[in-house]
Amino acid sequence: MKEEKKSASGQTILGGLFFFAGLIVALIVGWVVFPKVLYSEKTQPINFSHAAHQDSACEDCHYYLPDGSYSGAPGIENCRQCHEEPMTDSEQERILVEDYIQKNREIPWLVYGWQPDNVYFSHAPHQAAELECVQCHRDVTADEEKLPIYYENRWTGYSKSTMKMVACEQCHAERGATNACQMCHK
Amino acid sequence: MKFGRRAFLQFAAGAVGGTLLSPLPWKLADDSAIWSQNWSWRPSPMRGLVSKAPSTCLFCDGGCGIQAHLVSQKNAIYIEGNPDSPVNQGGVCPLAASGCQFLYAPYRVAQPMKQTKARGDVTGFQPISWEEAISELSLGLSKMRTRGNPQGLACISGRPRSSMFDLLRQFFSAYGSPNLFQMPSHADSLELASTLTIGQTATPAFALERAGYVLSFGADMLAGWGAPSRMQSLFGHWRQEQPGVAPAKIVQIEPRLSMTATKADEWIAVKPGTQAALALGIVHVLIKNKLYDADFMSSQVVGFEDWTDNSGKTRQGFKNLVMKNCAPRKIAELTGVEAAKIEELAKEFAAQENAVAIWGGDSGETPNNIYSDLSFLALNLLKGNMQTGGMVSLVPPVPLEPLPEVQVDEWAQKGLQQPRLDLTQSKQAPLPGNGLYAFLDTLNRGGAPYSIEMLMIYEANPVYSLPENSLVKEAIKKVDRIVTFTSYLDETAVQADLILPNHMALERHDDVIGLPGVPYAYYAVSNPVLPPRLDTKHTGDVVLTVAEKIGGAVKGSLPWKNFETYLQGRVKGLAAAGTGAVADKPGLKPWALQPGQSPKTNYKNAKDLWSKLTSGLCWYGPPIGALQEIKTTSGKYELAFVSLQDRGVNVEDDAVYLPHYAPLSPSGDEKAFPLLMVSYRSLSLSSGYMANPPFMTKTLWNFLLKGKDLFVEVHPETAKSLGMQEGDRATLKTPQGEVKVRIRVFPGAHPDTVFVVHGLGHTAYDEYIKDKGINANEVIEVQMDPITGMGTVWATRAQLARA
Repeated sequence: MKEEKKSASGQTILGGLFFFAGLIVALIVGWVVFPKVLYSEKTQPINFSHAAHQDSACEDCHYYLPDGSYSGAPGIENCRQCHEEPMTDSEQERILVEDYIQKNREIPWLVYGWQPDNVYFSHAPHQAAELECVQCHRDVTADEEKLPIYYENRWTGYSKSTMKMVACEQCHAERGATNACQMCHK
Repeated sequence: MKFGRRAFLQFAAGAVGGTLLSPLPWKLADDSAIWSQNWSWRPSPMRGLVSKAPSTCLFCDGGCGIQAHLVSQKNAIYIEGNPDSPVNQGGVCPLAASGCQFLYAPYRVAQPMKQTKARGDVTGFQPISWEEAISELSLGLSKMRTRGNPQGLACISGRPRSSMFDLLRQFFSAYGSPNLFQMPSHADSLELASTLTIGQTATPAFALERAGYVLSFGADMLAGWGAPSRMQSLFGHWRQEQPGVAPAKIVQIEPRLSMTATKADEWIAVKPGTQAALALGIVHVLIKNKLYDADFMSSQVVGFEDWTDNSGKTRQGFKNLVMKNCAPRKIAELTGVEAAKIEELAKEFAAQENAVAIWGGDSGETPNNIYSDLSFLALNLLKGNMQTGGMVSLVPPVPLEPLPEVQVDEWAQKGLQQPRLDLTQSKQAPLPGNGLYAFLDTLNRGGAPYSIEMLMIYEANPVYSLPENSLVKEAIKKVDRIVTFTSYLDETAVQADLILPNHMALERHDDVIGLPGVPYAYYAVSNPVLPPRLDTKHTGDVVLTVAEKIGGAVKGSLPWKNFETYLQGRVKGLAAAGTGAVADKPGLKPWALQPGQSPKTNYKNAKDLWSKLTSGLCWYGPPIGALQEIKTTSGKYELAFVSLQDRGVNVEDDAVYLPHYAPLSPSGDEKAFPLLMVSYRSLSLSSGYMANPPFMTKTLWNFLLKGKDLFVEVHPETAKSLGMQEGDRATLKTPQGEVKVRIRVFPGAHPDTVFVVHGLGHTAYDEYIKDKGINANEVIEVQMDPITGMGTVWATRAQLARA
């Protein structure tokens, strides 16, 4: 009887161990392996340095167009204003001038926060509501040596940093802005 | 320690727990939703900066100012109206809004093509270079000329109100052929009606912007009549309540409850084809009750009272003819409108200050019976609408630089001396105009004095869109060579031997000269919003190159380097005329100008005007009064067509010289074909040169088009007498042919009539356009007007049988 009891409690402990092992393995898979599998890492076509452009104002490159829409990432016409010819001996600048400006090719920037087609987003009302850029975007004034890696969801094709609807809704709710569907899905 | 079944289950339970505590299932669930928004076949607009490129729409003759939205200045994604344009005031019709679908359509012709197999076999088209194509065309043309058969060249052209058409006319005159025809339109018969009454070729215009009462005899104002976008915004204007202004009253007179009729204040369901009779009934009441300006009618008008013809014979005047034949009781029998209603309409019409009668069904796509046009004009004349400042004026000409005098060489002279082949029964009609049907009839009957060796077709699709299209299908078999200048592989291009693809409307310079039914002078230039996508060439440039290759007088008559230079030259003339202004801000009201009152010129010189016109602004000028421009020998409005006698019409019947109700009988036995088939158009269905784009097809109700089945409308009683119900399949048979349709029981349809919509039943283009519904033109019968030789369309005898 006694042996049987001991054996039963041993089995319980052993069972707990198996359960625990399964739990740990799944947690590792879910938290560590899965994100690595789900996202591919991409680097930007040029390692642009915001820090190296501190003599320019943000609005020189990121501005509102006459129709009120936002220019987003600048096109090569912006870059050309200063970089018609290389100004330094930086390799990245050489790529910019030779591969893009001289060939009249737009730089295929990977936009970290690009919203999908079914979302209508306008920067203008958000600026009017006095939201700071860094509330949604990374702080580019920090001295970063390399542009952040762009994580692309292999399944959906979205950027990992695309703001999700819940974040939009939360902020809208907090600030008393409407959360009606047609506000963003027109 | 054994890893048995129990251990496995314990491990699995842990794994499930761990998975649920990790983001994996939740993220995948979320991603699956996002993934479904990103299927590769889901269209997604190109990313980039959006800019707007202004131009003028060429999809119909409405002349709307448009703005194409471009992504990165490369891809057109959307077309909207230009708010500066006084015509459309920022609005566009569904066709223009779908315009980008034509630009990127798979059925565009990508390069010159030559048919190497039998005509009509699309697999036989072989791409050739532009050099080959142009040299083949110019060699063929040169040979025809030197062989002494320049008259053997003919052309069917679309877009008649354009400098491109003037260029073609110049080419034909220099080359030596009289056989240049246009696709038919209501303007054809209206021009002749003006020729008879005021002695000059013009079309009437209506000051609808200030109308208080509109008596519309089947003018489908919301289905493309006049300039479509103008009519849309006008309807909005009429329906807007304005303090201190009485709302306009719209009375729609037609046998079908059309979109316009549903939006009108009153719908008069008249018997098909009897609107002109009703107009004369109203005239009768006006005359009987002396509700007209008797002084004006006797002093400024010939033929209101009895008149004397060239031979000194006294002829009956309009007044007596109408009093004798058009009493309301008689007209009530003809039209199905009660006599009391006719009296009421006439009195209402007479009492209103700004009342106007407008007319013309079929969205202006076909000429009218000339006597009907003349009757509606007479009604307006009696109302006093043609007097200075009245509601009816003329579409003013635009003082563009005239083309240089044609240098006619010996070959051209001989060719031009030959009769034009629009011969009805071996001679031209007494009052010939754009006799396309008479021309096709001549080819089909045979026995023409010479043969047509080459037929050019420019921006038109007659094989599909010409009513009774069997006539053109038959006629092109008699022609040795068919050359089309088109952007699309449409039904006509499929029949061509040589296709010389034109730049699509958004890729080229072109212009719009005057607008149908619009009282102010109008000119607009379309300019490319994008460079040509495909290996196409502007037809104007092709014509100029061909003229250069033919050389001699032909080259000398067309001296321009390219079409753009030619167009700039025309604008130079407009600038030199120094009249009119450019509409450069929203809210301008050119219709408020008085005749002769030119707006203040706001361009410096020809260069400035060209740059303003190519930046999407239009030029406008003052209206011209109808009676200001009288060029008849009597110097008066000829209500009796005195000039018909000079044109060889000498008959006993006095009515022939006066506006009267003269319906042309449809053929076929009334017993075998007990119904009348009447076709109608819709603004949601493009039925001309432009095929109906998929965007618009999506807007059609499923009681009009369901799958591939087209529904025809019949009155509930007619359906009952035929033993048919909603949705039944039927065969619609006319003397022209038969088609399979389905039945829509519609109380808004006139009894004993079948209503068929235009714009479906294509056999060319792509899978999204072709084989949907039937083409009404296959079963329509055209009746030739004996006075003008024009093909008119009002009704075709028909029968419906259960299929």
